[in-house]
Amino acid sequence: MSDDEHIVDLQENNDLSTKAALGKDEEEDDDDMEQITAQKVLEILETAWINEMCAPEILPDQTDMLELMVSQVSHMEEQMKDLDKNDFRAVVHSMELERVRYIMASYLRCRLQKIETFTQHILNQEDVRESDDKRLSPEETKFAREYSSHVDEYFHKVATQYMPNQQRGELEQRIVAPNLMSHVFLKANVEVPAVIVGVDDEEVDMAPGSQHIIPYQLVADLIQNNQAQLI
Amino acid sequence: MSRANKLFGDKAFELLKDLERSSQTIPAFDDDGVRQVLEEIKAIFEENVAQASSYNSSGDRSLWPLLNYRHAALQRNKRCLLAYLYERSKRIKTLRWEFGPIIPGDIKQALCEPEVQFFNNYSKSLAAFMCNAGCSQGQGIDLTNNLHPPKSLYIEVRCMEDYGKFELDDGELIHLKKNSQHYLPRAQVESLVRQGILQHIA
Repeated sequence: MSDDEHIVDLQENNDLSTKAALGKDEEEDDDDMEQITAQKVLEILETAWINEMCAPEILPDQTDMLELMVSQVSHMEEQMKDLDKNDFRAVVHSMELERVRYIMASYLRCRLQKIETFTQHILNQEDVRESDDKRLSPEETKFAREYSSHVDEYFHKVATQYMPNQQRGELEQRIVAPNLMSHVFLKANVEVPAVIVGVDDEEVDMAPGSQHIIPYQLVADLIQNNQAQLI
Repeated sequence: MSRANKLFGDKAFELLKDLERSSQTIPAFDDDGVRQVLEEIKAIFEENVAQASSYNSSGDRSLWPLLNYRHAALQRNKRCLLAYLYERSKRIKTLRWEFGPIIPGDIKQALCEPEVQFFNNYSKSLAAFMCNAGCSQGQGIDLTNNLHPPKSLYIEVRCMEDYGKFELDDGELIHLKKNSQHYLPRAQVESLVRQGILQHIA
């Protein structure tokens, strides 16, 4: 019984949040809307995933989209239980679900990897950012802090506690920062005029759909505004 | 100096090279090597302190290069040592992803006490993160699954050891016997494949 309630809950949640996320497309009829929304969420996630994989630094988190997708996936799983296992549709759907799950897991893994590599750097940056400008989700922040303290503890126990006093600290020497000037491949989504490239203020106009190789830092804001995406 | 025939920093570099060369998942923790490097750091430091104070009292400029040289050697030792530990911590993290929350016995012997603790702490943090990841309803996503892009729903596996009964999500019981072959849903057997109990064949 409680199981059933849980499912209903999920679906309601799902409907509410998808509507909230869409908002402006209200004129669509209900069935259609859900279809489109799920697809849109997936598209956003896919872009975020690819961007995250290609960008040298950590990008803003997509917790909302992930939550939508997770509930969508479990919603679909419920529906699929009614289908016969050998039904063609069941096979196609479960394959699709596997793909979606892979994207979500891979996305989160990629972020974790960045957090582990650049822990201190990311935490320092997060400390100066405004609360609505944070790039890590609360869970990620928690993980980062824990991770950083574990590494410190390990280093301290094995080595630094045996070193002479003056040589211990210097934590700032150990900070690993991403190379923001590394080159990335990118595709412009919309027309972007006058992007400054290179050191001598050289400018380039990007046509929609055009592709470029460029140092990441010069286009970081375009990616965050979704004017361009990494490939 | 007591170790005239040995260069500063040799031992520390040796540590790193050994780690780099080893083909094992993780070689045994070089207790002895780490201690020697730490002793060298301490010895250099003490010599430097002694000479720095004599420099302060006498003002003998000729001591300058020596002081600087020792300082550089000290920094290098420290850096190599920390790099050694960092690389090991990276491998320990890989263990968590490959073998799950419990370290296999033979690998555990290669770790020192703080490393085991680091593993456990890391494992705990990761588990906590996965429980809450990307969703507030507390289902979580197991990130250690779905490591590769899915190619097909089912894979053919051969059983490498007697594992016993294995229950699939739909309640079907499968008896995993050594050398038997099965056609199973990939998602559910992935962790068994990674642990080496099942082998993925073609």
